Amino acid sequence: MIEKEDPVISEEEAAQYDRQIRLWGLDAQKRLRGSRVLLAGLGGLGAEVAKNLILAGVKGLTLLDHEQVSEESCRAQFLVPVTAQGQNRAKASLERAQNLNPMVKVHADPDRIEDKPDDFFLQFDATASFCTLKEALAVDWTSEKAKAGLKRTPVDYFLLQVLLKFRTDKGRDPDPQSFPEDSQLLRQIRDDVLESLSLNSDLLNDDFISYCFSEMSPVCAVVGGVLGQEVVKALSQRDAPHRNFFFFDGRKGNGVVDYFGPN
Amino acid sequence: MVQLVGSLRKELADSISTCKVLVVGAGGIGCELLKNLVLTGFKNIEVIDLDTIDVSNLNRQFLFQKKHVGKSKAQVAKESALQFCPSANITAYHDSIMNPEYNVEFFRKFMLVMNALDNRAARNHVNRMCLAADIPLIESGTAGYLGQVTVIKKGMTECYECQPKPAQKTFPGCTIRNTPSEPIHCIVWAKYLFNQLFGEEDADQEVSPDTADPEAAWNPEETAARATASDKDGDIKRVSTKEWARSTGYDSVKLFNKLFKDDIMYLLTMDKLWKKRKAPTPLDWHQLENSECPKEGTPASGLKDQQVLDVWGYCQLFQHSVETLRSQLQEKGEGAELVWDKDDPPAMDFVTAAANLRMHIFSMNMKSRFDVKSMAGNIIPAIATTNAVIAGLIVLEGLKILSGELESCRTIFLNKCPNLRKKLLVPCVLDPPSANCYVCASKPEVTVKLNVHKTMVLTLQDKIVKERFGMVAPDVQIEDGKGTILISSEEGETEGNNNKFLSDFGIRNGSRLQADDFLQDYTLLINVLHVEDLERDVEFEVVGEAPDKAPPPQTNQEEVNSITNGNKDSAQPSTSSKAPSEDDDIMIVDSDEEDGAASSSAAAAATGGTKRKHSDAETGETSTKRPRTDQSAGDNNDDDDIIALD
Repeated sequence: MIEKEDPVISEEEAAQYDRQIRLWGLDAQKRLRGSRVLLAGLGGLGAEVAKNLILAGVKGLTLLDHEQVSEESCRAQFLVPVTAQGQNRAKASLERAQNLNPMVKVHADPDRIEDKPDDFFLQFDATASFCTLKEALAVDWTSEKAKAGLKRTPVDYFLLQVLLKFRTDKGRDPDPQSFPEDSQLLRQIRDDVLESLSLNSDLLNDDFISYCFSEMSPVCAVVGGVLGQEVVKALSQRDAPHRNFFFFDGRKGNGVVDYFGPN
Repeated sequence: MVQLVGSLRKELADSISTCKVLVVGAGGIGCELLKNLVLTGFKNIEVIDLDTIDVSNLNRQFLFQKKHVGKSKAQVAKESALQFCPSANITAYHDSIMNPEYNVEFFRKFMLVMNALDNRAARNHVNRMCLAADIPLIESGTAGYLGQVTVIKKGMTECYECQPKPAQKTFPGCTIRNTPSEPIHCIVWAKYLFNQLFGEEDADQEVSPDTADPEAAWNPEETAARATASDKDGDIKRVSTKEWARSTGYDSVKLFNKLFKDDIMYLLTMDKLWKKRKAPTPLDWHQLENSECPKEGTPASGLKDQQVLDVWGYCQLFQHSVETLRSQLQEKGEGAELVWDKDDPPAMDFVTAAANLRMHIFSMNMKSRFDVKSMAGNIIPAIATTNAVIAGLIVLEGLKILSGELESCRTIFLNKCPNLRKKLLVPCVLDPPSANCYVCASKPEVTVKLNVHKTMVLTLQDKIVKERFGMVAPDVQIEDGKGTILISSEEGETEGNNNKFLSDFGIRNGSRLQADDFLQDYTLLINVLHVEDLERDVEFEVVGEAPDKAPPPQTNQEEVNSITNGNKDSAQPSTSSKAPSEDDDIMIVDSDEEDGAASSSAAAAATGGTKRKHSDAETGETSTKRPRTDQSAGDNNDDDDIIALD
C-alpha cells in the first residue's frame, strides 16, 4: 500500500535526488519515497535491480533469497563480499546494499518465496498487473495467426521456454560443472519444446547452449537497468510500462519489447 | 567442444584477464562501467577523472557514498571497485586526460579505451589520441532516459569528429544587453554580471546597455555616431564594471540602482527599441523596500528551491549574495577572481536574484532557483538505470573488439519507448570514415571565413584553433615560403603576436596556415577566405557549415517535457559560448537500422518514429523530431553524456 500521508522530501534528499527529480518530477519522487518493494533472488540480475531501486530512493526494499553464497557468487554480483561463502545470499548482500543509500530501509530475508504466507506480500506496494507468466507462455502456435506472427517473434521467447523447462526438470539452472550432460539435456529440451509447439527445431540452433551456463555481468546490467526502470515507473505511476516481455540479445545488441498473452 | 570460463570462450577469457584497458571518466557511466569490467574479469584497468565527488552524484554514481563527498572520483571509484574484486589491478588518476603527460605512448599501453565523459572538448581530444595511437575507442553518452554507445576504430569507422556536431548556441550581444525576451537571456546576463563583478572580466561578456545596437538607430549614420560618442564620452564603458563596483565598495544598493534602475532608464532613451516591444520598467530599491507586503505563509509541500519569491525577495537575495561574494573576494586578497559554480550557494543565489530582477523588469514571469539552476548550470537530468544499461552495452562491444569481431560492432541507441519495430535498444551498422573529415582524413583541410584586418592572432588561437578545432597546445605557421611562426605552443614565445591582426603578417585571401598539435599528432591545414562582413557578433565561419545561431523562440506546439512538475518551458540552449561548468553533448544520430533503413518520409509519418527524436539539452527529454537535413544548430551541450549529431 502506498503511504497514506504525503511523504516529505527533506533538503538532504532533495540534494541527493536532484538530478532525478529534474527528470521525473517531485511527485514521482514522493511516490517512490513511499513505496516498499520485495525483490526475490539476489543473483547477478537481482543485485543490479536492488542497486537501481535503492539509488532511486524507495522507502524500503526487502531482499528475499534462500540460496547460499557459492564460490561463484562473489564474482557474479557486487553486493556479496568475497569472504561470505556459505552465508545466506540475501543476508550477505545486506550491508553493501544498505550503504548504497542509507535513506532506504533495506531488509534481508533468507526464506523461500514458496514458504511465505499470502499476507506477507500485502506489506508491499502493488505493481501493474500483467497476465500471468503461465498464460504468456501458453500461446497456441498452431493457429495461422500465430504462425504469421512467428517471423517477428524474438527467438529468445523460445529460449526462455527451454530454460524454464530445464529449471523445472532439474530444480536448478545449467551448471558449468556438468557442462556435457546439461548441454545434452538442453538440446533435448529444445527439440521437445519446439516439437510440442509444432515448430521446426532449427528455429533455435545449437549456439544457444553455450550462453545458458551463467549470468554475464554486462547482460545483467542491461536487463537490470530496464527492469529497474520498469519498477520505478510502476511505483511512481509515471509513464506507461513496457508490454509485456523484454528480450535482450547481447550479441546483436537488440532489445525488443513484445507482447505474449491473451489478446 | 568449446571450453568455457563462465560464459566466455577460454581464449577470450584469457585475453580479458591479461589486457590493459583505460576508462576515461569515473562519473555516471564510469562507475557502472568499472563495476561491469571487474565482474566480467578484466584485471588491468586504469581510470582517470579530474573531478571530485558531489552530493548530487550519489543518486547514480554508486561507488561513492556520502562520506566521500569532496574526494577524488577516480580514487574512490578504484577503492570501491577493489572491494568486489581485490585481485584486480586498478590505477586511478585524479587528473585531466588532456594533460600532456597522457601522450600517444601512454595510450598505446591499452588494448581498448572507453570514454565515460561529459564534455566535447575531452571527447575530441581522446578521439585524436586514439587515432594517433590506433587504439579502438568505445564512445558513449546518456541524458535522462536516452543513451548511446558507438565504436571508433581508425580507418574502419567514422571518428568522433567525422560528422560535424552542432556548435554551442550563443546569443547576440544586443539581446543580452538591451532587449532580452526570454528568461535564458536574463540568466546569461546574470552570469556575465557575476564575471564582470567578481570573476574574470571578458570583453565578450558586457552587461551594460549596448549603445551601438543597430536596432536602436533610426538611421545607419546614427549607429556610427552613437558608437564613437560612447568611446569619446568616457562613460561607464570605459571604466570597467569591476573597477566601478570596487569604487563603491560593492555596495549592494548602489549596484542595484545602477543595474536595475539607471541602466534601464538609459535603455528607455533608445526609444526605437521599444516601438514594437514592451518597454522595460526600472526598479527602485527604496520604493520596493517601503512598499514591502507582509509575507504570506510559504506553502509547506514542495522544495524550498522550487518556490518563486516576490520581487522584494529577490532584492534581498541580491543583497545577501553580493555581501557574501564580496567577503569571499576580500578573503582571497588582491587581484582575486571568483569562478562561477552552480553548486556554490552564494554564486547561484546571485545569478538567481539578478536574473529574476531582470526578468521582472522585462515583464517576464520570474523563475524558481531550481529552474534557474537548470538553465544557468546546463544541468542534464540523470538516473542510474540509463547509465547501467549503457555501461553494460559498452562492455559487450568491448568483448566483440577483443574477440577480433570488429565487424559485429554497432552503434546502439537506447530509446525511452520501443520504436515501430518494437525495439527499445536499436543497433545500427557503423559508418566508414568520412573522406572530408577534418580530423581523420589523411591530409585534413578546412576553409575558414574571416576578416584578416579585424581578426587578432589571439582570436585565431583561442576561438578558432583551440575551441572550434579542438587543439589543446597548437603551433601555427604560415605557408608563406618562409614558414613564419604565428603561434607557438611554448609559453610566452609568441605572446607578442596576440593582439596583432592577421593582415599584419601578410595573411590575406587565399593564405594557408598550418596548425599542429604535437600531443594529438594532428596537423590541420587552414585555408583563409577573407570577407569584409560577417553576421553581427560572428567572428569567423567554417565553410561548409551553417552559422551557429540561437533559434527563434518556439511559438508552436513543440512541447518539451518539463523537469519540474507540469511546468512547460521551451528548450534552452547553453548560457555561454565557452565550455560551461557542466557541459555536455547530446548525440542524436538518425537511426538507420541494420535490418533495413526506414526512409525519412516513413519515419516522419510515424508517431513513435524509428528516428530518434531531438533531445532537449536541459531536460534530456525529447521534443519533436528534426529531419536529418535540418542544418540548424541543435540544443546540446550540458551536463552528461549524449553526443549530438543532426
